[in-house]
Amino acid sequence: MIPLSSGSSSQTATLAEEVEMCKLFAARVSLGNSPRGPSEPGRECLGSLPCRLIQRLCSRVDARTIKLVSMTDAPTQIFTAKKVHTMDPNEPFATAVAVQGDRIVGVGHRDDFLHFPQAEVDERFGEKVLLPGFVEAHSHVMSGALWEFPYVGFYERTDPKGQVWSGCQDVDSVLQRLTQCDQEMVDPDQTLVAWGLDPIFLQGERLVAKHLDQVSTKRPIFVFHASGHLATVNSEMMRQSGIDQHTPTPGVAKDDSGTPNGELQEPAAMSLARDGLATIGIAMMSSEAKWNYALEARNCGVTTAADLGTTRLAMEGQLEAWRQTTDHPEYPIRVVVAFGHFDSDGTPANIRDMAAKAAHLREHEESEKLRFGIVKLVLDGSIQGFTARISHPHYLDPPPGHPGNGLWLIPPEQMPDIVSAYHQAGLTVHCHCNGDEAAQVFIDAVDAALQTHPREDHRHTVQHCQLTTEQQYKKMSQLGMNANIFANHIFYWGDQHATITVGRQRAEKMDGCATAEREGVKFSIHSDAPITPMGQLHTVWCAVNRLTASGDILGPDERIGIHKALQACTIDAAHQLLMDNEIGSLENGKLADFTVLDNDPYEVEPEELKNIQVWGTVVGGVPFQAGSE
Amino acid sequence: MEVTVIGGYLGAGKTTLVNHLLSQATEVIAVLINDFGEINIDDKLVDSVDENTITLTNGCICCSLADGYSKALDDVAKRNPRPTRLVIEASGVADPAAVAAYGHAPGMALNAVAVVADGVNLIEQLADPLVGQTVRSQLAAADLILLNKQDLVSETETLRAELEKFNGDALMVECIHSQIDLDLLFGSEVNKAPKAFGVTGEYESRSHTSMQPIPRDALVELIELLPTQVQRAKGIVRVAEDPHIPMVFQLVGRRWELRALADRKNAPEGNQLVVIGPKGTVPPDWDRTLNAED
Ligand SMILES: [Zn+2]
Ligand SMILES: [Zn+2]
Repeated sequence: MIPLSSGSSSQTATLAEEVEMCKLFAARVSLGNSPRGPSEPGRECLGSLPCRLIQRLCSRVDARTIKLVSMTDAPTQIFTAKKVHTMDPNEPFATAVAVQGDRIVGVGHRDDFLHFPQAEVDERFGEKVLLPGFVEAHSHVMSGALWEFPYVGFYERTDPKGQVWSGCQDVDSVLQRLTQCDQEMVDPDQTLVAWGLDPIFLQGERLVAKHLDQVSTKRPIFVFHASGHLATVNSEMMRQSGIDQHTPTPGVAKDDSGTPNGELQEPAAMSLARDGLATIGIAMMSSEAKWNYALEARNCGVTTAADLGTTRLAMEGQLEAWRQTTDHPEYPIRVVVAFGHFDSDGTPANIRDMAAKAAHLREHEESEKLRFGIVKLVLDGSIQGFTARISHPHYLDPPPGHPGNGLWLIPPEQMPDIVSAYHQAGLTVHCHCNGDEAAQVFIDAVDAALQTHPREDHRHTVQHCQLTTEQQYKKMSQLGMNANIFANHIFYWGDQHATITVGRQRAEKMDGCATAEREGVKFSIHSDAPITPMGQLHTVWCAVNRLTASGDILGPDERIGIHKALQACTIDAAHQLLMDNEIGSLENGKLADFTVLDNDPYEVEPEELKNIQVWGTVVGGVPFQAGSE
Repeated sequence: MEVTVIGGYLGAGKTTLVNHLLSQATEVIAVLINDFGEINIDDKLVDSVDENTITLTNGCICCSLADGYSKALDDVAKRNPRPTRLVIEASGVADPAAVAAYGHAPGMALNAVAVVADGVNLIEQLADPLVGQTVRSQLAAADLILLNKQDLVSETETLRAELEKFNGDALMVECIHSQIDLDLLFGSEVNKAPKAFGVTGEYESRSHTSMQPIPRDALVELIELLPTQVQRAKGIVRVAEDPHIPMVFQLVGRRWELRALADRKNAPEGNQLVVIGPKGTVPPDWDRTLNAED
């Protein structure tokens, strides 16, 4: 497309130009309004004269005429590429994108833009493929915090600096890595904290204190498991923390002679170990964690990530810390920090108070790379931890002593009040629902809120949606709800779901992207990093192939096409984060956020999707190369 | 510091119980709660309020759990004067047993898990397909069940029978507006100057002090000889088999246990025990098996 730009502003505007200018404004006005609730008249900007004029004129304008963008005299960067996938259905392909400042002013071909003000052609991506910047709509900044500590997990992972950490496939390789870290640490008394251990995958004897004592008997060691529910410590840690055969805390695992073996189960037991969990907790609030989170995102081509309810925004200094970090010109991603619904007693007054805080953030605290407006609720647990709320017949093969079904983290009867309060405040509620029973409670709460307070385009979103049924998707579609599907689960835990948690029949329908598509629910797909590694191409690969770790195709009917999967990571993810007016597709007026790939995901074999190399990203017109410091 | 956990499903009366014990307290109690919203203490009793703590004129404090258990426990332990008791109000869906695990942190000793049952709605809650299991798990974790809202309940026996099915061992106390005898809840008097005989409301208590370590068998015999109405006893004892470790002895309902005291530095010398039962049920020589060894 060729933008009609008037470089010289001194000309008297003709009627045609006036109409076109109005189209431009109209586009902006509608962009500005679309994701926000009607309860926010301040944003609708209908009061000012030009806008009223636009409204009047708009009816005369065919919305599908050529898009306009206001150009300035600022220099124009023309990024050329082998191919550009725009995710704009009207202009799906291009070979160049023109950028002024942080905005796109043209999508088309190089020669279309050469006459733009101070046009400069940037050919560094000439042999690469550009897509709208990937959007990871469900991750946690904790993912960045963990990289302050050595990784000892089973699967290979790449750290934010681009260094590849090979998987530790047996106890010996865990010990080897820890020994190396021990030797590199300067302070001999400092606790060695490591993370990512997953005993399910390790052959042979379970790793306990006596193994860690081979690493050090002088320095305390705290190894945090991938599940987040356990830690293993060495004898020195137990000595310093006063953990011995008389320690009565449940979760302090003991051997046959009654001596603790070093495994600490659940938070109460883990918190007995000094400088273990607390060190990770402190790291989570650091600015380094925020940087690591962004670098990890950049490395996999993500330009916008949602920190979905990790940050306690009410905690002193956290908002300022986020602002300071994201304001840095080198900070390579936009972050949507969700407002976590924590620590509420569920009384209407308390919930209204929380809703007011969340609304204040959106109205007054947003900046270029820091966004709000999403509220995160957590309703149930996880499927692999047997704590998700699943309807009859519940779990297939739960561990001994399991009560039969999972846990509620919010009393179900409080949900209508909670959802309604945030709904009325014009906010968008994203609710963690792994099990179908949880999803139903949330959907019913949204339904009830809409009955009493009808509101268009609320975009309330079911997060994870792992067992969400066809009927539930139908209802979600009717209610205008969105879904964010945990596609990565199929690869990481699909085999366990088929044999242990819910059985093959239900596992084949898990994370059912095709059902969501068929029922017309807008959806995204996510990693929930650090639960699984961030990497949109891997997540796309999961949704397209549904291959498990053992190589099984689990539920072939739920596979989706590459285009749908990429929409889920770009425009539809942006939609549920209320940012589709600015990102998610490459169109004039949107932010110049791109993902830069070595190969075209539409052209490689579906099994190869996850192996496409990511060059890096462009955020607001600024290139950020993966793996760089 | 002794830790008491208060659990129970939404609307059962947990916060009413917190309000009750804060206003009745005769010692410095710290209460950890999820939210200040429903704390409703007489204004005259409130000394000061800051973001995370309400301080009362009787010295009791109410702390928010907003930053998690570890932080709240740390903050309480550092307070001066140090509270003698810590009460944790678990959230309406929390498993009180998981919360009680924090009661064993260094310097803490778990007193009891008290779960408030909503007498009016209990039967319906237990049958509810969504929350039935949550309510049942909470009650199953209880040492002490407050069968609340007795003023509105006619079928108390049905309720008791229902509860017996999954927690026959807990001490069941019927109450209105969560008004429970605090001695019964705390099994208190142990840390106060020993009294030979005390009557509190409808309950009486008797105590025992001695210096010689007690053989384990004598303790077992003591429990066997206690009248069935006596369902609360506790204390700190030295067991003859391992006299160096101060042990906490706890009897709530028909369940008893003996475990090492976490707060070993502040342990009193010798043995101190107290039993509490309905008025007229505790025999004067209830501790005869212990004295025989002296
Ligand atoms: Zn979640
Ligand atoms: Zn998450």
